[in-house]
Amino acid sequence: MKRDRDRDKAESSSMAATAAEKGKMWTAEQADVGGMDELLAVLGYKVKASDMLEVAQKLEQLEMVMEDDGISHLSSDTVHYNPSDLSGWVQSMLSELNGTGFDIGPAESTIIDDSLLVPSDNNSSIVSSSIDFTPSQSQQSQIYEDNSEYDLSAIPGGAICKQNEPSAENGNKRRKTVGNRSGEAASAEVSGGPTAARPVVLVDSQETGVRLVHTLMACAEAVQQGNLKLADALVKHIGLLAVSQAGAMRKVATYFAEALARKIYKIYPQESNDTSYSDLLEMHFYETCPYLKFAHFTANQAILEAFAGATRVHVIDFSLKQGMQWPALMQALALRPGGPPALRLTGIGPPQPDNTDALQQVGWKLAQLAETIGVEFEFRGFVANSLADLDAAILDIRPSAAEAVAVNSVFELHRLLARPGAIDKVLASIKAMRPKIVTVVEQEANHNGSGLVDRFHEALHYYSTMFDSLESSGLTQVSNQDLVMSEVYLGRQICNVVACEGTDRVERHETLSQWRTRMGSAGFDPAHLGSNAFKQASMLLALFAGGDGYRVEENDGCLMLGWHTRPLIATSAWQLAATAS
Amino acid sequence: MVQLLDLGNVELTLVSDKEKRLKFCINDHMDILIEILQRLDGRSLGAAACVCRQWRHIARSDWLWEHLCFRHISPRTMAGVRPVVAAMGGYRRLYMLCLRPVLSRLGRTRGLGGGDPEVVRRVWTQHLVELSLSLFCVDYYERLGNGGGSGGWVGDASASSLMFLCKPVNV
Repeated sequence: MKRDRDRDKAESSSMAATAAEKGKMWTAEQADVGGMDELLAVLGYKVKASDMLEVAQKLEQLEMVMEDDGISHLSSDTVHYNPSDLSGWVQSMLSELNGTGFDIGPAESTIIDDSLLVPSDNNSSIVSSSIDFTPSQSQQSQIYEDNSEYDLSAIPGGAICKQNEPSAENGNKRRKTVGNRSGEAASAEVSGGPTAARPVVLVDSQETGVRLVHTLMACAEAVQQGNLKLADALVKHIGLLAVSQAGAMRKVATYFAEALARKIYKIYPQESNDTSYSDLLEMHFYETCPYLKFAHFTANQAILEAFAGATRVHVIDFSLKQGMQWPALMQALALRPGGPPALRLTGIGPPQPDNTDALQQVGWKLAQLAETIGVEFEFRGFVANSLADLDAAILDIRPSAAEAVAVNSVFELHRLLARPGAIDKVLASIKAMRPKIVTVVEQEANHNGSGLVDRFHEALHYYSTMFDSLESSGLTQVSNQDLVMSEVYLGRQICNVVACEGTDRVERHETLSQWRTRMGSAGFDPAHLGSNAFKQASMLLALFAGGDGYRVEENDGCLMLGWHTRPLIATSAWQLAATAS
Repeated sequence: MVQLLDLGNVELTLVSDKEKRLKFCINDHMDILIEILQRLDGRSLGAAACVCRQWRHIARSDWLWEHLCFRHISPRTMAGVRPVVAAMGGYRRLYMLCLRPVLSRLGRTRGLGGGDPEVVRRVWTQHLVELSLSLFCVDYYERLGNGGGSGGWVGDASASSLMFLCKPVNV
């Protein structure tokens, strides 16, 4: 998982130094005006080449000011700050800088003032994003006396990251190679400057990855504390930092930043009833990466083994969608020794906005396939807003002596956790169906915490790993459009996990152990998935490009598919507890 | 002089041998042709289909491809497969679409260590065939949805669940 370091060029040239060196280097590079422009553009700044000299001079002034004021320790110290405690850090910085007990805690008067961000003069360069710390007006003149405009703007958050930050910092930057830090140091100067003279930050782009993660966490914490102004500034900052990244990290950061922005501005995504778009996204996700295929194949194997010897079988699918799981099961049933059983499929789906019967269309396709391969087939579709609305009686369950029943849920059960009591009702109705086997596939993550920060943290890890796996499989085989659609599919989940609350937040993923407890207390016993499922899954994964990264693990009878060391989805099978009557 | 005559005799003999050889045309002996073709690998079989119309007709017969697919598997386990596969597009399609890419990718990564190599290969191959059949079925199902079960060999760009397997070459 090497990060793209194509900005090494930038680093080697000038960016990675303390302020003092930077000033010198900038003047030295004045001559190379064209190059500097591009290099800065890579970091997200747009600086006119002709203004370089001016900017360099400002830097020298800044350095002098800092040395005069005795705050040069800010740029060269390696004091460890808690990077996610942004408000505390900034507060201490500013109080040192201004020599007052200036409080920029959760109070209103603090951080961002959007009106200051737009340069109001003749500069034609555009500032992509900026944050200003504006102490009260009286303080301004203490720091700077000139009023010329800067093209670069302050990114005080950049100062969060220290030089030589080892990975003992925290687990946030699990994917950043914090290797050769010694030679490079980021420095940033923050000052509560006047509107005209903005502080300048030059960013070491190797550390922007780390900074990005820290800023994301800090933003989430700010949102949780209700400090929306700070959060707003940080979100913009994230946008700037994300641009300097490459590949998966950038995409993940962008999606998370969008979700945070939605939460801040309270623009919640509407839970759209247009399932055709969701289905389309899911189809692309199905084609791009093996998660859904793994889910289907392992669940099918469990169902197939449970149906051994039965002559009539009934499968209840909690989310039929396009029915991609069932052709493989039908084929396996058709070819099983002893001939195929009579198959009944009940598909459950959400109501369609345009009243088309999507379920029937899928059922018809499956019936065609069944006829082709010679399996006696019957289909029934049920439209329901939520699984809790159904019960066993509606589904026309025939006595278990006559028909073996299997219940299948792929990424559906976690949605029930949004409403209290729904999951228990559904599990009770599953029990009433007297199934031979219940197959459950769920994401292996805890995204159901009540606190935003914990949820955010978990989700960041999980989706970073997901995007990483998409990235490496996308490189060789899949077209770009497939990849983009899969990412949008995941992006919507991210948005839901972070931005929504209450009954809107349906992506309430829980870990396998949590599901185990839940199923156990509801009266189900685990059924072990056999070695056939494991072998088939391993073979399936070996087919995918990037197949080396995918890992199938067996976890006490359940199968988990992960990317390198991180399990991402888990398939488990359940049967009625032996003591249940 | 005598030698010249001898040479002349030898030449005559050579010519008549050649004629005898030319008289044997493989196209007149279909059974031998089939015997040879059924021992070829997929690539060669495909190449054979490009030789002439008669060869094409034979090389495209599904029976040959079925033989190719299940060469190493005990026939007992594969009873009843034929109608299913035939209905879903035939063995040639199964081979081209699923079996060949699966075999080539897994052949690279998996060594056949341990135990009786023949048995191991058979076990692996059985799982492999099952997997290929499942993928083949999914593909057929997708093509169903794209309007028309009897999709063209070349033209179904929209069925893409096997995109991760497909390579651009088509025979």
